[in-house]
Amino acid sequence: MEITILVLAFVILIALRVPVAWSIGISGLLTILISVKTIPALTTVAQRVITGLDSFSLLAIPFFILAGHIMNKGGIAKRLIEFAKALVGSLPGGLAHVNIVAAMLFGAIAGSAGAAAAAIGSFMSDQMEDEGYDKNYGVAVNVTSATTGLLIPPSNIFIIYSLASGGVSIGALFLAGYIPGLLTGFMLMLVAYIWAKKKGYPTAQRSNFRTIAKSFIGAVPSLFLLIVIIGGIVAGIFTATEASSVAVLYCFILAFLYKEIKIKDIKPILVESSATIAIVMLLIAMSIAMSWVMSYENIPQTVTDALLSLSDNKIMVLVLINLILLFVGIFMDMTPAVLIFTPIFLPVVTALGIDPVHFGIIMVLNLCIGLCTPPVGAVLFIGVSVGKTSIQKVIKPLLPLFAAMLVSLILISLFPELSLWLPHFFGF
Amino acid sequence: MRSKLDKILEWVLAVLLGSMTLVVLWGVLTRYAFGSQSSWTDELARFFLIWVGILGAAYASGRNLHIAIDLLPQYLNPKNRRKLEIFIASLVVIFVTAVFIVGGIRYVYISFILGQASAALDISMGYIYLVFPIAGACIIYYRLNDLYHYLSTPNK
Repeated sequence: MEITILVLAFVILIALRVPVAWSIGISGLLTILISVKTIPALTTVAQRVITGLDSFSLLAIPFFILAGHIMNKGGIAKRLIEFAKALVGSLPGGLAHVNIVAAMLFGAIAGSAGAAAAAIGSFMSDQMEDEGYDKNYGVAVNVTSATTGLLIPPSNIFIIYSLASGGVSIGALFLAGYIPGLLTGFMLMLVAYIWAKKKGYPTAQRSNFRTIAKSFIGAVPSLFLLIVIIGGIVAGIFTATEASSVAVLYCFILAFLYKEIKIKDIKPILVESSATIAIVMLLIAMSIAMSWVMSYENIPQTVTDALLSLSDNKIMVLVLINLILLFVGIFMDMTPAVLIFTPIFLPVVTALGIDPVHFGIIMVLNLCIGLCTPPVGAVLFIGVSVGKTSIQKVIKPLLPLFAAMLVSLILISLFPELSLWLPHFFGF
Repeated sequence: MRSKLDKILEWVLAVLLGSMTLVVLWGVLTRYAFGSQSSWTDELARFFLIWVGILGAAYASGRNLHIAIDLLPQYLNPKNRRKLEIFIASLVVIFVTAVFIVGGIRYVYISFILGQASAALDISMGYIYLVFPIAGACIIYYRLNDLYHYLSTPNK
């Protein structure tokens, strides 16, 4: 009964173009009003929304967003692209590979896929068009490769998963994301390779050692940041929040030294970042309230029982959960999806002996696919708007890239070592 | 009036986010340079986050930045689309009034009554939570302003 009202209200509101955060809040409120009196219900929802944001580990998210905004303006993306060009530009269909590698490097420094899609896409789309690439294919490559940044740390979504799962180590999640992120990137490059062979896309000349060295030196200051952040977190020197604030300072100094931003740019950067941060924070706050409503109504227990009654085979349940999440990802943004579905699915998978870190990776990679599909694909929207094309036109070139991501998802679901080897190696 | 509120929120947000960054950096610095971290930095940064998150949500709402899914409105004629916009704005006003204003003020009130104070800075939590009804009032203002705009322009 409660589940029906919750889901129905949410779907109707979303379809009516009510902003997602409000849709989550309204459907949660309606559900709790069935069993709790009005005034206490309103107060409790208000309390859940506001105390949901009161968390030190959540603080890392605004800082990574701010660092991403500074990187966008600060010429860091440009230098990463030059470096990627020297590395993989000479492969068949070189610019597509450059885009993928640059997105992975960018993802290794910034925490969000949207920032990567905007920063890399705006540099790459014109170049690709000049060299005769199909524009829509370029956008499709940019959008899918941007999501690898969510697996390659630092990654805001792992911080959110850590919160939703009740404290899975952020350091372990960060380390666990590397191999799956790289694997997904290589899968996408494989598609780009086959595509280039089929379409006869240009192969640039192999860059000589001097260009590689020069572009590497240009990228070193940016890449050094990743050693500071990840090294600091893994070695236990920094918390994720402290590391993210250092990242802001570092990016700011770098952008200042590159003379890409001036004092008068600071306020617009802060305002734009605040807006981005607040959009994410309102989603988080509303999702936390919704998640509380669901546990109050015993919904996670109901779902667990239902799932386990269908099958107690590990693989079967993982397949089932993956299918549900793929469906959810099409209609829901990643942040609310993680906050709402982690408390529901995590008890099921841990009961079957699946590591919570491994499940976090599966969930994020799975929802990455949803970020690139209409109607609710945040990264798709950004990619399409910087690439100046339309969603309808990008769908076709997206399909083989989705297939690559799905293969990666299957491999990562089936082989826990792909995710767990690295964190185990570092003693998590 | 509306653009004035935008301007004010922009300044407040820029100052809050800037200070939040400096406060956490100060915490890192004191921890490494002086060996012991000042206890108030974590707490203050968390409060700034609540303010940036909630007040920023009001600012983003004013600029219509919150993510929504444009599926159905594509198939509506302008007249029905206008009706839908009026419905959405009214719905947001009702929800925000219920949760941010009624629930929010009651929660602020309870926090003051219970004398709930923060651990390190000894600030009454009521002041921190006050951002909730303030942001709610801003969101309601923006939506009422939209509604006024929809209803005062003649139906095409």
